[in-house]
Amino acid sequence: MITLVSYRPRAFVTAVAGAAVFAFFTVAASWVLRWLIDEVVMVRFEEGRIDRAGLGAGIGVLILFALVRAGGVVVRRTWAGKAQWGVAEDLSREVLDVVVAQPVSWHRRQSTGDLSTRVGVDVEASVSVMAPMPFASSVLLMMVIATIGMVVVDPVLGVGAATVFPVLIALNVVYQRRVDRWYDLAQTELGDLSAAAHESFEGVAVVKAFGAETRESERLARIASRVRGARIRAIRLRSVFDTLLDVVPNATNVLIVLVGSIRVRDGHLTLGDLTAFVYLFTLLVFPLRIIGYALSEFPRSQAGYARVRSLVEQPIEPDPRRGLRVSDRFEIEGLWVTHDGERWALQDVGFAPPIGGTTVIVGPTGSGKTTLVQTLAGHIGIDRGSIADPFHRRALVFQEPFLISGTVLDNVTFGRNVSRAEAEWALRIAEAGFVTELPQGIDTVVGERGVGLSGGQRQRIALARALAIRPEVLYLDDVTSALDPTTESLVLSNVTEACAGTTIVAVASRPTLLSRADLVVYLEGGRVSAVGRHLDLLGESIGYRDLMEAYEFADDTDSRASGVFDE
Amino acid sequence: MSDAQEKSGTIATIGAGVQAAPTLREGLGATLALALFGAAGRVVVPILLQQAIDNGFTVVGGRTIVDVETVTWLCVYGALALVVTSLAQRTAVLRLGRASEEALYGLRVRLFQHVHRISVEDHNDEKRGALVARVTSDVETLSQFFSWGGLAFLLNGALMLIVSGVMLAYDWLLALVVIVVSAPLFVVLRRVQKYLVAAYDRVRETNGSMLGTTSEIINGAETLIAYDSGKTFAERATSAARDRAEAQTRASLIGAFLFPSGEVFGTIAVSSVIAIGVWRGTGADLTAGALVGFVFLTYRFLEPIAEMTEVLDQTQTAVAGLRRVLGILAIPVGPPVDPRPLPVPGGPITVVIDDVSFSYRPREGDSDAPLEPVLSHVSATLRPGTKVAVVGETGSGKTTLGRVIARLVDPSHGSVRLNGVPLTKISNEDLRNRLVVVPQEPFLFDDTIAANLSFAVPDLSEAELVRRIDELDLGDWLNSLPDGLRTEVGQRGSNLSAGERQLVALVRASLVDSSVLILDEATSSVDALTEVRIGRILEKMANGRTTIAIAHRLSTAARADRILVLDHGVLVEDGHHDDLIGRNGRYASMYEAWLASSNGQE
Repeated sequence: MITLVSYRPRAFVTAVAGAAVFAFFTVAASWVLRWLIDEVVMVRFEEGRIDRAGLGAGIGVLILFALVRAGGVVVRRTWAGKAQWGVAEDLSREVLDVVVAQPVSWHRRQSTGDLSTRVGVDVEASVSVMAPMPFASSVLLMMVIATIGMVVVDPVLGVGAATVFPVLIALNVVYQRRVDRWYDLAQTELGDLSAAAHESFEGVAVVKAFGAETRESERLARIASRVRGARIRAIRLRSVFDTLLDVVPNATNVLIVLVGSIRVRDGHLTLGDLTAFVYLFTLLVFPLRIIGYALSEFPRSQAGYARVRSLVEQPIEPDPRRGLRVSDRFEIEGLWVTHDGERWALQDVGFAPPIGGTTVIVGPTGSGKTTLVQTLAGHIGIDRGSIADPFHRRALVFQEPFLISGTVLDNVTFGRNVSRAEAEWALRIAEAGFVTELPQGIDTVVGERGVGLSGGQRQRIALARALAIRPEVLYLDDVTSALDPTTESLVLSNVTEACAGTTIVAVASRPTLLSRADLVVYLEGGRVSAVGRHLDLLGESIGYRDLMEAYEFADDTDSRASGVFDE
Repeated sequence: MSDAQEKSGTIATIGAGVQAAPTLREGLGATLALALFGAAGRVVVPILLQQAIDNGFTVVGGRTIVDVETVTWLCVYGALALVVTSLAQRTAVLRLGRASEEALYGLRVRLFQHVHRISVEDHNDEKRGALVARVTSDVETLSQFFSWGGLAFLLNGALMLIVSGVMLAYDWLLALVVIVVSAPLFVVLRRVQKYLVAAYDRVRETNGSMLGTTSEIINGAETLIAYDSGKTFAERATSAARDRAEAQTRASLIGAFLFPSGEVFGTIAVSSVIAIGVWRGTGADLTAGALVGFVFLTYRFLEPIAEMTEVLDQTQTAVAGLRRVLGILAIPVGPPVDPRPLPVPGGPITVVIDDVSFSYRPREGDSDAPLEPVLSHVSATLRPGTKVAVVGETGSGKTTLGRVIARLVDPSHGSVRLNGVPLTKISNEDLRNRLVVVPQEPFLFDDTIAANLSFAVPDLSEAELVRRIDELDLGDWLNSLPDGLRTEVGQRGSNLSAGERQLVALVRASLVDSSVLILDEATSSVDALTEVRIGRILEKMANGRTTIAIAHRLSTAARADRILVLDHGVLVEDGHHDDLIGRNGRYASMYEAWLASSNGQE
């Protein structure tokens, strides 16, 4: 809590000051009311005399105090908001700075859902206590002043009434804890429902194919009934506590009237005092109900903040790109890589890709192609062996293109210092002519909330992103398989022509491409099974030949048939 | 839309909503009565004060004489009243909560059933998110409304009614003063609310862009690292967080005026009551107790106003959610089920496609646009046990033909018959047992392999599953999986390769002992071994079945007994591969192009 306040201390202190003003003038108003009843109202009704001056003064002060109180609330709420969201901003910055500084190996160990939760939900939970805190402090202050005031007026009644405050707070806290359990459960069940509904609707073709409509509806209904169950439990609790929280102060007021009347009879109290007691109680009831909520935010905030800190305090791991040796040759020697520390994804891999030429890595599923190309690009670290290369500008294109919600231009420049002209050039080389036909051309918004693109189109934008910095070496992880064979070969000849001297290392499988490669590396089970030219490998390696035959057999008919099939 | 129209729209929507969730109405009268009675508990203290002051206290020569016995009895009555009214309020809250949760559960179940029954046309990627949102967040909006807004309406409405009644009984003039002074508060609060809603819209917007950018940083981490763009994106997200902080502060500032305006108005109302009360004095039957009681009643009367204005906005949101939910229920269900279905004669099945045409129904908004038919007058008779391939370019109508035969959509004209029985006359259950479809996308549920297979036939034992997999010569594949049948496939089958997903989808379809198999070929490429396995399964599945493959690979077509070639919805060629090549038509040129692309460079 104190650490959180230390991010934005001034805003927080201002909010608390506003809260204090509110507390003080609330209690003060009850004294004015007491005076008005004793000196003006009772006098008028018992003696028939109208004290005009007293009435005017009393009402004037009452309204003035109300305005001051209002000011206090405005200050408190505004600055509490400032403090809360300002701290959220600071925390987000801290978390994000760490997240972007960590290397790939670190990111692969995290679940994206968990990371998103820390940046979103946990940061919000951490600061959730900032707004109710000044409020809670004003309520506490109010209680203290009110208690002192009441004890001064009448020690017996004052002490008696004040004991109800802790009872109310305890009641609130217990209630919040217990009800939160059910609300949290309902929230979890709702998450399950949402995931299940999404899955069920997404698989509607399968659901219909097997006539499983009723079965699926029943499955979802079962989850929905769990949501309902948790909610009804919460409502049941709430109905009891809500009522108790209403009854306790009201019952206390009844007691105050009873005991107060005896104290008035014995001359310890005036009627105005008695009324002020009841008034103070009535005023405090509402804030006391909220203080339970404020206090219940504490554990949530602490847990959230602990999770944020544990992320921020993780040491930044080394960037595997520093493990690449600078040399005037491109050479891979005795490379061993493991992802999980148990099995080797690459074992003793070594070869020398021709600088300025095209190397194609090929192999069956799970043979380590992706690992190899990503290791060469410095994307993941080496466990044993070495990679030496002469490059300064490397670009890696992934199998799954990642597009941000933004324009095509944003997606190509990708936060780097790339001009519009360079982006346009890169799109041309990547054969992304379709961009000019989009509604706003290169400025069309694509990605999640934008124009839908096909896999091949997305892949060409991702490729343009790589080309935009005119890399000396281009690593392609099965990038062109999303393109039809014609576009694939067009793109590759564009690259070799426009970026003469660029070294290409590609994971690919089409015979067309393999026959044109300067070097083919055939992987099997993480080891290099054969290296050489396509035609040589066809003769030398049985595995390679089988693979080629299978691909020929399976390859798409032509560009038209490989397009989107849904009409 | 004018205000009046909108209002009637709101009422109509609520009416339709109550009809969609009829349990809401059950016992509503009793709940309202209990709430009203329960609200009376909140005026116990002001009335007690009035009674005590007027009947228990007398000031004689500056000394207050108290009749403690009377006051004690009054307090006992008050305490009793509190107990009884509290029980009533508790019951009302519980009843409303229960009724609304039951009603919303019923509404959800109706939505699930409906969504599963609407046509596949209404289930595309763009609409899916919306469908999920309807059954989750929109129904949630309604639940939120019932548990806070609806409850507040009920309790506050009851409270204001009771308080007004008591005030009027004490003194009509003072009651009028309170009401007149409070009226502008309502207007002021409505105005503030409007600004507040706008401010919170901005908060939501900035929050969305902040979360959007962070999710890009997290989900695209590898790409960001590969392009050294992390810092730039982190800065973008931080500036989004700053925008959010500003929007939130602004919303806090506006919201800060809500509560104190109630305070200020309350004080003005109380001051007016005291001033007028004192001025009138004992005239007009006003007593000191009533005046003091009035002070408290005034606060009680103003208390709910702030909450009520908030509730009004929540009501708008809830009605909008309800309208969207009802919109889903208004989507017509897919092909209708015949109330008196005919059985399909057993044994092998002849599929007759009789003069089938199909046009998609116009999209909302551009109903005037002429619709080009996707299929025009397609006819063919498919004998039992034939392997048929349907080929054609994207947009030729081959997927639609598959959907029509599978009765995922009904043709606009013509019919499809299985052994002479039109599809429209066959019960859904019968149809799905006789004819099985393998959709193009091998969709798997996030569960084990066994669970995914059981989706086709729910009651198969694991041993039976293993036996069926062995029959397809896939025992070696099953053994290669880490946990065999119990292997978790992950979301959308992400733990499996694309080829393995296709395998599971095919095995799943093979479990149904159907006579007709419609296979919408997957387009994704798979590795050689899996390709061989898929070929083997298809070979086995074709045994004794009529198979209709929507073919994307001409290699599939080349192996078929019969090829249907579609061009812009018209069946242009029909025959065996060799015949069609000899005819030198549409198919021959497609085949030539394919040969050139796959063998040309060798």
